[in-house]
Amino acid sequence: MDELKIERLGGLAGIGGPSSRIASRGRIGLSELSPRDRSVVENLFHAHAKGAKIAAPPLLRDGFRYRIARIVDGQAATIEVPESAVPQTLIDCVKDELI
Amino acid sequence: MTCRCHIIPPKVLERLARDKALSSEQRKDCADTVQFEEHWRKLRSLLGRSSVIAVESVAAKVTLAAKPAITVYDCATGTALPGRPIAKPADASDKSAVRAYTTTTGVADFYREVFGRNSVDARGMTLQSSIHYGRKYNNAFWNGGQMVYGDGDGEIFLDFTRSNDVIGHELTHGVTQFSAQLEYSGEAGGLNESISDVFGSMFRQWSKKQTVAKADWLIGSEIMGPDAKSQGYTCLRDMADPGAKHCLAPQPSNYKQYKAGMDPHDSSGFPNLAFYKAAMAIGGKSWEKAGHIWYQALTGYPPSPRLKMKAFAERTRQIAKSLYPAEASVYKAVDQGWSAVGL
Repeated sequence: MDELKIERLGGLAGIGGPSSRIASRGRIGLSELSPRDRSVVENLFHAHAKGAKIAAPPLLRDGFRYRIARIVDGQAATIEVPESAVPQTLIDCVKDELI
Repeated sequence: MTCRCHIIPPKVLERLARDKALSSEQRKDCADTVQFEEHWRKLRSLLGRSSVIAVESVAAKVTLAAKPAITVYDCATGTALPGRPIAKPADASDKSAVRAYTTTTGVADFYREVFGRNSVDARGMTLQSSIHYGRKYNNAFWNGGQMVYGDGDGEIFLDFTRSNDVIGHELTHGVTQFSAQLEYSGEAGGLNESISDVFGSMFRQWSKKQTVAKADWLIGSEIMGPDAKSQGYTCLRDMADPGAKHCLAPQPSNYKQYKAGMDPHDSSGFPNLAFYKAAMAIGGKSWEKAGHIWYQALTGYPPSPRLKMKAFAERTRQIAKSLYPAEASVYKAVDQGWSAVGL
């Protein structure tokens, strides 16, 4: 099944850092996304493929970033985007865990 | 229009809107987003200009208010900011609202009484907080114009308004924005984070009238949830021991460990430890001497967005000499603090 693997990074707690004790991960099938959310995700990957850097709002401090990995037809791609660019459905499937 | 891809450059969006590899719906989304981007760009421009105007106002000595108004809004687990205004947050039945109000008032008092600073912009800017942001949201942040606090998931984290150093940390991002204007990447990013930890911890110590010896030097100790505590975690960070096992986010403690691309929450470990060592060596209360040296290094120079750690360390050495010319021990404490972390 084509799916997205999502990892939450940063924030006040510096989640996902090299020594962080918190892992924040989730996954969701592309088929589980609404057409609108799927379209948003497609656009993010297309923009990334065309060399666009998706930056966080310039004065935001302690905000989260999301690393989204997609495997479609055996082709893997990964993007890293600020929370403001991520559909809520993807955010909701990520769970924080102590490691 | 729910697409929130507002930070993709318009030219790319326009290309995507014409890209026949995309579905018609996707192309329409991109075209719609270009329109939305225009409005968002104007908003961002206004926000940026408001910062510049505020900085220019400081230069022109224009005071917006004698002391800042403190406002609190309730997001009610939504993510639209600022949320619903809370009329009298000091008297609210919601403990988060009371904490956000009283602690923010305390931070404003701290900056005014200790450093003579009127709000984050030095000219009385209203200090706005939004609470109950998102569902079980494990974070607090400064968005360039206000503070935002999540409730935590109740497992790893509790409500982020519980730790007064966290509120001091977020507000200090505002002070940095209106003074040194440090970027949020590279060495300046690490300094930006460290300055928020330093003044957040200093505010906590000031609130308790603690000496440096009595202070715990922990960041976020009161937002640790039951799961974190049961595994021995007592804080996010420990300024006295950045790599300690009791930290949820342990940090490197020497500049030789710095790597390009490091997250600011990692690279803030060395300057945090330098401040701790300097303040401990000076003794007394952190805000009395060490705090004034760090504050002057942050606010007493023209904006320096890409400031390097060595340059900041050198500023504090020079300021230690100029502020306390008769006390060589102060300069020695600052110098040795930085030297101990490789700076």
